[in-house]
Amino acid sequence: MGGYGDVQLLRDDGLRLDGRKIDEMRPVAIEAGVLPAADGSAMVTHGLNVAVAAVYGPMEAHPRKIQRQDRAVIDVRYNMAPFSTSDRIRPGYNRRSREISKVTAEALESVVLVERYPRSKIRVEIEILAAEAGTRCVGITAAAVALADAGIPMRDLIVGVASGKVEDTVVLDLDKAEDNYGQADLPVGILPNTGEIAFLQMDGDLSPDEFNLAMEYNFKAAAEIHEIMVDALKRRYEGGEN
Amino acid sequence: MVELVPTLLRQELARLAEDDLRLDGRGRWEGREVTLETDCLYNAEGSAKVVMGDTIVYAGVKFELRTPWPDRPAQGSLMCGAELRPVAHRKYEPGPPSPQSIELGRVVDRGIRESGCIDMESLCIVPGEKVWGVMIDIHVLSDGGNIFDACGLAAIAALRTAVVPAKRFDVGEDYTLKVNGTPIMSSFTRVGGRYIYDPSEEEELGGDERIHITLGDEGHLHSLQKGLRGVFTPAEFAEIFEVAHLRCTELRKLVANQEGN
Repeated sequence: MGGYGDVQLLRDDGLRLDGRKIDEMRPVAIEAGVLPAADGSAMVTHGLNVAVAAVYGPMEAHPRKIQRQDRAVIDVRYNMAPFSTSDRIRPGYNRRSREISKVTAEALESVVLVERYPRSKIRVEIEILAAEAGTRCVGITAAAVALADAGIPMRDLIVGVASGKVEDTVVLDLDKAEDNYGQADLPVGILPNTGEIAFLQMDGDLSPDEFNLAMEYNFKAAAEIHEIMVDALKRRYEGGEN
Repeated sequence: MVELVPTLLRQELARLAEDDLRLDGRGRWEGREVTLETDCLYNAEGSAKVVMGDTIVYAGVKFELRTPWPDRPAQGSLMCGAELRPVAHRKYEPGPPSPQSIELGRVVDRGIRESGCIDMESLCIVPGEKVWGVMIDIHVLSDGGNIFDACGLAAIAALRTAVVPAKRFDVGEDYTLKVNGTPIMSSFTRVGGRYIYDPSEEEELGGDERIHITLGDEGHLHSLQKGLRGVFTPAEFAEIFEVAHLRCTELRKLVANQEGN
């Protein structure tokens, strides 16, 4: 975490700088099937974050060495557009995006019924067009909707959410200032129907009680986002188009 | 990924061409509907989204403070790059920039740069020390054919809405970037033996060489590019040049309408 002390993140009335309550998440909007060239796709707007995910496949797994005889592999690329942040990002893969891609792939492999597609590959491309803290979570949510949109069988959807700590207070869904100057960040990927967790990272400082409260907030938010995801998928197929 | 040569598609396109028809029912010089949205990305100083049939492209403008090139101490710089991310089509693979994406970025860059719409000297803050570097990044999200025109349109529309973030860099107050003109690209592909405007994905797959023409406000040429294997005659060029004039003017109006003037 970026450090703590000189930046006030909670107002005197107990609300956060953007006026949200402690356990209130930023507004979320989801649209499925946004990219005509992809087999499945989704766009998720979460606060000022914009993430687009595309799914291609299942397809032949190559290079050969990545093939698994008993299941499909999920090949995830998380990428931030050069114009997605305040300072321009040089195009290309970096250590941060490699790590996020890897753990996201492992999370998605935990929900997709990969054993249905031995020796094949499912490509998941996550593009962050605008970043305002929490992009890995928004990317996971977008990937889950895109996988469902592609008709790939899954045990459950997966929802990316994060809670954290600012000024010794646990808060849901950190915004940019809270992420930069807060004390902890706990992003998770939750399976809304089974209540399992497929993605987990954390940095900062949390007591066991704070961790439990942060998780409670995450589950609450996951249920809310899940409804929006399901609604997006229903809208995609109710219209009769495609 | 190896693109299988679609013999049947080529035959079908050639058959349609005999009656001057196209796969999607368009006329030979008819473009797909284009929608343009600007100022659509938080964190980009200027941005645009272009939807052209199944093609979706975003462009974002960022600014950097940098030291000027020694031979041009009083000039800022402009750079335009395009990324053909694997998100855009199954045919695109991850890896270092492909020759296609480099060509795409450079053709768009030339059209904007050579039109002179950005006065490089106006990007100078302290001669010899500090100038603005303007970066236009183009992100192709869905390749449904003719990404060149979509990228060119997104780039100039994003540039025309850009606000120079002077305050954030401690060099004065923010101001709107001055852009003198709207260079627009029109692209043509040989399909079934004759040129058509605004090729779709199938027409590119089953077509041959392509020609890109960028025209400025006065109808002057600012960038030309021929891509892929094939040859054309001066008469053919004269014909598509006429069409390019008409289509560029229409798209320029679209940009102006978006800006509300």
